[in-house]
Amino acid sequence: MPYASIIVPAFNAQATVRATLTSLTAQSHADLEIIVVDDGSTDDTAVLAQQVAATDPRIKVVRQANRGLAGARNSGLAVAQGAVIGFCDATDLWMPDKLATHVAHLRAAPEVGLSYSGAREIDGQGRATGRTLRPRLRGITPAHVFKRDPVGGCSTPVIRRAALDALGWRPRFERQRDWIFDESVRQAGVFDCWLRLSLSTDWEIAGVPGLLTCLRAPAEGMTLDTRARLASWDRVVTRLRSQSPAFFDRHEPAARAFQMVSLARCAIAAGDGATARALIRNALRISAAPLREDPVTIATTWVAAQALDRMGPRALSRAKDLRPLSSVCVERRH
Amino acid sequence: MRLRPRIMHLVDDTTPEAALRVLDHMQRCPVLAAKACHERLHVARGHRLPQVDADVIVSHLTVRWRLLPALIVFRARHATTPLVHVEHAYTEAFCALNVASRSRFHGLVRTTYALFDRVVAVSHAQAAWMVRRRLVSEGAVQVIHPVVDLDPLRALDRPDRPDRPDRPDRPDRPDRPLRRIGAFGAFDQQQGFDLLILAFRGLPNRDLRLTLYGSGPEHAALTALAGRDHRITLRSAGPSMAADLAQVDVVAMPSRWEASGLTGLEARAAGRTLLTSGVDGLADHSQGSAHSLRGYAVDSWTAALEQALAQPWRDTASDPTFGAETRFATKWAALTGDLLGDLMPEMVPEMVPDLGPGPRPKRAPKLVPVTS
Repeated sequence: MPYASIIVPAFNAQATVRATLTSLTAQSHADLEIIVVDDGSTDDTAVLAQQVAATDPRIKVVRQANRGLAGARNSGLAVAQGAVIGFCDATDLWMPDKLATHVAHLRAAPEVGLSYSGAREIDGQGRATGRTLRPRLRGITPAHVFKRDPVGGCSTPVIRRAALDALGWRPRFERQRDWIFDESVRQAGVFDCWLRLSLSTDWEIAGVPGLLTCLRAPAEGMTLDTRARLASWDRVVTRLRSQSPAFFDRHEPAARAFQMVSLARCAIAAGDGATARALIRNALRISAAPLREDPVTIATTWVAAQALDRMGPRALSRAKDLRPLSSVCVERRH
Repeated sequence: MRLRPRIMHLVDDTTPEAALRVLDHMQRCPVLAAKACHERLHVARGHRLPQVDADVIVSHLTVRWRLLPALIVFRARHATTPLVHVEHAYTEAFCALNVASRSRFHGLVRTTYALFDRVVAVSHAQAAWMVRRRLVSEGAVQVIHPVVDLDPLRALDRPDRPDRPDRPDRPDRPDRPLRRIGAFGAFDQQQGFDLLILAFRGLPNRDLRLTLYGSGPEHAALTALAGRDHRITLRSAGPSMAADLAQVDVVAMPSRWEASGLTGLEARAAGRTLLTSGVDGLADHSQGSAHSLRGYAVDSWTAALEQALAQPWRDTASDPTFGAETRFATKWAALTGDLLGDLMPEMVPEMVPDLGPGPRPKRAPKLVPVTS
């Protein structure tokens, strides 16, 4: 039985799935299995995955009708055998020592249930864009997860199976397998999962230094539906509020403001300065916490939004540091 | 004259009400009384723990930083007396929701447990958490589910069983739909009664009733939450759990953390449909007529209540709590017998399955004459 399972949800990812699998088979920690869940692709994703699987017996390919990213991850979990689980979207890459680093972290810290790392962004050709995700690594509390989600997307953490199992349930209509990720939350499912882990178990969430994941930038021209994203976020908060009303009463305004600032950064990345300005304004009306706790990010985001809105995208073309990678942008691709 | 070992149970103001009820049962249980004399000592908070003259000392105190120095001194002053701690309070969900520094909290609990010869967990989930977090070694923890006298509850009419073949004195009564939901416990954050009220208010049937039995700091907030919904009542718990349970058809336990959930056991003994959050020790009640629901979303709880009312328990063939009191007494007798070791083997031979490899300290037993 392999020690680690890496689940690769794939939907119409024929352009990138081979590179993803190559980065996973090259992991220095070789005691692993790779489970590709083809989520009803209509292109050659499954064929390409099968071709790579033919060269490495550690790769399994599972096919299913489209159930979305959360559904693909849950299906992968249903067949995974590892004691630790990683997820790598079929667009992303893992650095060669990523799994080994997280496995060493989890072995050294038995109280940690989820180990994550920083990430760098790559473009469609696999070149680094210069944008990075450098989250806080230590002292992560449920409030940190709620407000600023240090874990980011699903391709960054490696998680103990026991910690994930503690989150499992089976909806009444589900006949096949348990849910770990909530398949009814389309755009904030990963955030929902980390927040539930933080609020309902005493597994610790901690990071390791390094940019060990390469997250592929969204394709050019992708639009950002901020209303839909905020609605998803609201749905998660509404469903979890009853677990600890006091926690949400205390932290929700600040968390909502941080969420809107993150969406503003996504809007900047998508070239929508007007939306970004409105989001920042509204965020600071709700709570001054972002200004108090992270003034540099607020300032750079505000300047970037102003410049973009008034001078157009060229104003930011050489100022990549004004467009820091946001964990919400990472999740946006889902 | 036959002599019995003296077992002293320490309680204080932090000891939960349910634990005191279990202790009452221990002191009245004839099976336990045949093996040992169980006594209770109430200790004042903030004071030094007293010198105790007993063969085994059982702590029902809530572990906290302020208690730790007193416990260290207490351990030193009772170096040869077996000490047992029963953990009534702490669980994984408690830690997740209430503890800011988890590693610091684990350190407190780990240090405190190390002062005791044995730690009793009140549910399998709690014991698993203790071992997983290395709060106590696997060999030093034992699961003993708390129990009270369940016979008065077993004698109650089943809400969905109008005739009682085992009670010919009871006249048949017409079958009726389940419509009375009850919840028992302190009105505080732990019990989740706020969620229950919100979920219940989502049920349109005007014939339904929700009664919360208890008291506590959230009484006013819960009353406000109930608003003008006259189907909801908050009242003090009566002196008899059986009398209160007789007034409800379904028992709801939306607890946010729960070490054991004694009410769940009582509800099952009374044949009431049980709906729980399944958290911590409530997982041990998820069988037979019990339903557990993962998560605390209000709409999910409304749907679960509706289903619990529509599908009452029909398994009348067996009592899901059969033998609970016997198992409880046997486990406590075995635990104390194991700790007493070779001090009184002639008195409690069946309690000495394994004396262990090392010699045990010799001391004079604190025996109590059997008066009955």
